[in-house]
Amino acid sequence: MEIEEEALSLIRKHHDGVYQNELWKDLNIDSRKCSRLISRMMKEGKIIREPAVSNGSRTYLIKATTPDEKSYELMLAAGMFSPCTGCRLACHPEHCEALTEWILRLIKEKQNQA
Amino acid sequence: MIDLNDPVVRGYLIQLLGEEGITIIENMPEGEVTDEEIAEATGVLLNIVRRNLFIMNENKLAICRRERDSSSGWLTYLWQLDLDDIDTQLTKEKKKLVKNLQARLDFEEDNVFYVCPEGCIRILFNNAADCHFLCPVCGEDLTFQENTEMVDTLKERLTALQES
Repeated sequence: MEIEEEALSLIRKHHDGVYQNELWKDLNIDSRKCSRLISRMMKEGKIIREPAVSNGSRTYLIKATTPDEKSYELMLAAGMFSPCTGCRLACHPEHCEALTEWILRLIKEKQNQA
Repeated sequence: MIDLNDPVVRGYLIQLLGEEGITIIENMPEGEVTDEEIAEATGVLLNIVRRNLFIMNENKLAICRRERDSSSGWLTYLWQLDLDDIDTQLTKEKKKLVKNLQARLDFEEDNVFYVCPEGCIRILFNNAADCHFLCPVCGEDLTFQENTEMVDTLKERLTALQES
């Protein structure tokens, strides 16, 4: 995995953001390299950063702007997209037939993978 | 540029608009166009084009601009496709799915279910007891349904959705 991908995946795991002075240690790179990486990802619009204080020292809190694209794939169950999309029926997830079908497809998909 | 063959994007658009919606998006002329021009270019019926444009606008996938003809005073609605914000819409859909899956998981965990072996019905324990554990549709004996697999699968997918 390239260092940028690795950094982005690590930042995405922290929903409340990650401190820059912790990020470079977690990535096992030096702080200067991390700083250049952060600037590049900010320019690309992948992350945002705000001034923060961590353990008494001034740093930046870094947050991802967009979720991992792969996470959207989790809305698919054996090719069926989330039935809640575009649904105009009264919402009763407890008894919803479309949602049941989606869940059953998910179970089947899991069984096929096993 | 949005890849319409991406399974997620395609799945989302089909769920939202149907196959005709995909036809409209794939064949929609570039720039601002009227609904009649879209119907002509895509070969989709005008009322279906209008319905799809309305849904797309509601979901921020199409932009609409009104123009008044200075001589007749008539309004013309001009439409333009804008799929750049699709990620925001997918995030919203994800949140909606998470909320509904959580509600379903709670319901599955908090209740005991009985089913008809003929597949007629799935009911709660209390309702099954009221029916003397006989299917109200065909009269067969109702059997206890083990829903552990459903609960486990739901939990697994919910965790993955919440962590991503």
